[in-house]
Amino acid sequence: MSESSVTKPAPVRRKLSAGPLSTGDKWFFRTTSIAANFAFVLVAFILIFLFIQALPALTSQGLPFVYGTEWNNQQDPIVMQIGPMIWGSLLIGAIGVVFATPLAVSLAYLIVFMLPSRLAKVATTLVDLLAALPSVIIGLWGLFVFSPVASEWGAILNKYLGWVPIFQVKSADNGFGGSPFIAGWIVAIMIVPIITSITREVFSQLDRDLINGALALGGSRFSTFRRVIFPTSAGAVVGGVLLGLGRALGETVAIFYVLQITFNINWGQILEPNGGAVASMILSKFGEATQEEVSGLIAAGLVLFILTLGINFIASIIVNRAQPWRKN
Amino acid sequence: MNSLAKASTLSSENISVWFGQRQVLSDVNLVFPANKVTALIGPSGCGKSTFIRTLNRMHELIPGAGLAGSVYLDGKDIYAEDFDAVSVRIKIGMVFQKPNPFPTMTIRDNILSGLRLSGRKIENGDEVVETSLRRASIWNEVKDRLNDQAISLSGGQQQRLCIARSLAMNPQVLLMDEPCSALDPGSTRRIEETIQELSSSMTIVIVTHNMQQAQRVSDQTAFFLADDNTPGGVVEFGATEQIFNGPIDQRTNDYVNGHFG
Amino acid sequence: MSFAPRPAVQPWARVNTGRRIQILLASIVPILLTAAVILVTGLDRNVALMGVFLPLQLIAASAVGFRAFGRRGVGDAALIVFVVFFATFVLVLLASVVFSLVSQGAQAMSWGFFTQNNRYVSNTTSLEYGGVGHAIIGTLLVVGLTTVVTVPLGIAMAIYLTQSQSKTKGIIRTLTQAISGLPSVVAGLFILSIAITLDWQKSGFLGSMALLPLMLPTIARVAEEALRLVPVDLRYAALALGAPNYRAFFQVILPAAKSGLVTAILLGVARIIGETAPLILTVPINNGTSWNLFSGEIMTLPAYVYNYLGSAFVPSQNRAWGGALVLMILVAILFGATRILSRSKSLKSKPTKEKASK
Repeated sequence: MSESSVTKPAPVRRKLSAGPLSTGDKWFFRTTSIAANFAFVLVAFILIFLFIQALPALTSQGLPFVYGTEWNNQQDPIVMQIGPMIWGSLLIGAIGVVFATPLAVSLAYLIVFMLPSRLAKVATTLVDLLAALPSVIIGLWGLFVFSPVASEWGAILNKYLGWVPIFQVKSADNGFGGSPFIAGWIVAIMIVPIITSITREVFSQLDRDLINGALALGGSRFSTFRRVIFPTSAGAVVGGVLLGLGRALGETVAIFYVLQITFNINWGQILEPNGGAVASMILSKFGEATQEEVSGLIAAGLVLFILTLGINFIASIIVNRAQPWRKN
Repeated sequence: MNSLAKASTLSSENISVWFGQRQVLSDVNLVFPANKVTALIGPSGCGKSTFIRTLNRMHELIPGAGLAGSVYLDGKDIYAEDFDAVSVRIKIGMVFQKPNPFPTMTIRDNILSGLRLSGRKIENGDEVVETSLRRASIWNEVKDRLNDQAISLSGGQQQRLCIARSLAMNPQVLLMDEPCSALDPGSTRRIEETIQELSSSMTIVIVTHNMQQAQRVSDQTAFFLADDNTPGGVVEFGATEQIFNGPIDQRTNDYVNGHFG
Repeated sequence: MSFAPRPAVQPWARVNTGRRIQILLASIVPILLTAAVILVTGLDRNVALMGVFLPLQLIAASAVGFRAFGRRGVGDAALIVFVVFFATFVLVLLASVVFSLVSQGAQAMSWGFFTQNNRYVSNTTSLEYGGVGHAIIGTLLVVGLTTVVTVPLGIAMAIYLTQSQSKTKGIIRTLTQAISGLPSVVAGLFILSIAITLDWQKSGFLGSMALLPLMLPTIARVAEEALRLVPVDLRYAALALGAPNYRAFFQVILPAAKSGLVTAILLGVARIIGETAPLILTVPINNGTSWNLFSGEIMTLPAYVYNYLGSAFVPSQNRAWGGALVLMILVAILFGATRILSRSKSLKSKPTKEKASK
């Protein structure tokens, strides 16, 4: 073998996988790639068709559509503005995330680090079951069972912590039902599973030997959590929380039953029976909507879609970056 | 046995290999004459397993794989535009490091899977099954349970089943990538015997970590080495006898005598 | 995905009897004290839970932790108390949903409720008459059509994401993930927009199409995971035998991933079977039985629940509970089937599984 110093021409990389594919393979890859590219088509179609039907409302309402605070179909021309709904969705989403995150992280910690594996499986199944509950069922339960209880919680919060601005209400006589607080709880219940499952997956990828070793050596759970678990998994948990926020913004039926939807913007008095949510508003107005209003509702859907798409996109990127083991 | 295809000569010319931008092999020129067993030896990470995968175009399945040079099967470049990968792999069989029988199939179906997978008609399937299993010297162990699931076999039996599966395709060349590394000494010995019997009807290339094995089974040996951060390559290539008993290169001498690696 | 076998963490592994008693006391005393406070002062139970029980429990656990491990024991105790408290809270919520569903829905349960439609039923008609038969039929038809269209599409996507070497895989995966966050009401509006643009009438078919974007990401993702679980060695083995890619897939990979793919389908169905908003927007409802997906009105279970839920009349509300229970039973059946499948899978393919995990 020549180890000589004679410089050879640099080797030229060849085209690999050259040569004819069999007809079967051609069809195999063609068909599956068409199916895969359907994802593009779907997103494009959703945007295009929503846009076509939203256009009349968008042109007649102009920019105030997204920040104005009035919806009046008696007036001519009709006024359709969804500012309070967008703000309400974000508020409820934020409340939901604040409630859901500690619950979900606790569940994940319990499942991965505390329960013996058999019980951990049971707990995982229960969380998955929670995820499988249709939102109309949560709505039904929310209306008849949860709302009365949560109204009590609201009353208690107002009574003892009423000096905190967000727990203030104009008048306790209006009751504490139909508030963003209750709607926030409802979405929290619905997004706990998704945050749990992502957190659980990150936790279970941590080097368990390291953690068990630290515990066995008399290291404390708390410091292990703070020094080992938290720093390595925080990124993915944030991604999971964002995914949950995306879900929360899109939640329709369940919120519809528990929230008092009004077009007066509620900046943050979360116990006030007054709130908004884009998705639920669409459902509530749809039954009696005029043709013009349908266009307005579709425009609201377009806004919602862009909002959730953006959040989900960022969330997916964060989650994927924090879970390198999922790549190919 | 006269129905078997003739063994072929395989040769590589100026083979260089990349993964992404990283070059892992440089300028490998080897000739594998018909009916000879060639052993590829060298420390881990020297590129010998990568090299053997270029010989039947399995290399290109890895994302980001790159290649320069040619591999000739009886004088024809297997990377040429008009030579498709499927027909290359039918002629050049491969046995992997870990036994990988198809878990959803019976022993019998595993043997016939190659024919089915390449879309051939199966005539006298029983005969193919028996011949292949006999050539891989596992017939006596499994003849009464051909319809059992393949994963019910032991590791060594699974590996011989995989050899039989390749043999059912009647390859002209058989590539073996450390076929015994996951097996016990008994199974290893039986596979070595099989290799020697097979060499009468085909060309065999075997990657091995085991010096004794290389000496026992091979006619010629190539020693691969990769220095730190440089692409691997062949340091020395010659008759097995010479490589082990009178290596020319000092590094070969060190390696075969266990001084490093 | 799967739970790797692991040594169970045993926080009390070195716990002696004395400490065990301490832990027991620390768990019981706060509950008893809280109960006593409620009985004596008549304090609101919710207030007592947060204002008396939780602080007491924290103090008790910290005390035990401190005696056992010193200062670092306090942090641990707080961590454990909060984790268990929060997890129990979620469990109570879940139990509450299931319990109220079963107890309320049971009132409506009868053979007739499953088989009859609601043609001659008014707001106040007793529960002995009428049922969800028509809604079950409608749901099966609508969801069935979605499934028939979406399953091949989703599995083909998964095949592309696992078998091809294309460079657009990452984008498509991200896009699919993004679609999985599509609000269901937007899926309904999307199909509604198409219908308005093309002047189509509302029908069960539109409902099926509105469910498609909601089902697709679930199927694609779970199927991709199932295919990825098949060791790549098997694919290489098949290709090395001279198989074209499609034969390697259909003869080797598909059989090995079968139960995972069935799981994907079941999860996909479970994902959409209870979807309400898209159907409200695209499917006209009725009280009679319809087998026609392509024109006219057709009832579905979620729409049935939605329809009666808003009613002020108790019999109608009970119908909603009954419909919801039926829906929950369907979800539970699908859900149970996936559990059984995943269990049988892990039993059968043990030897190949360890390879898959790397």
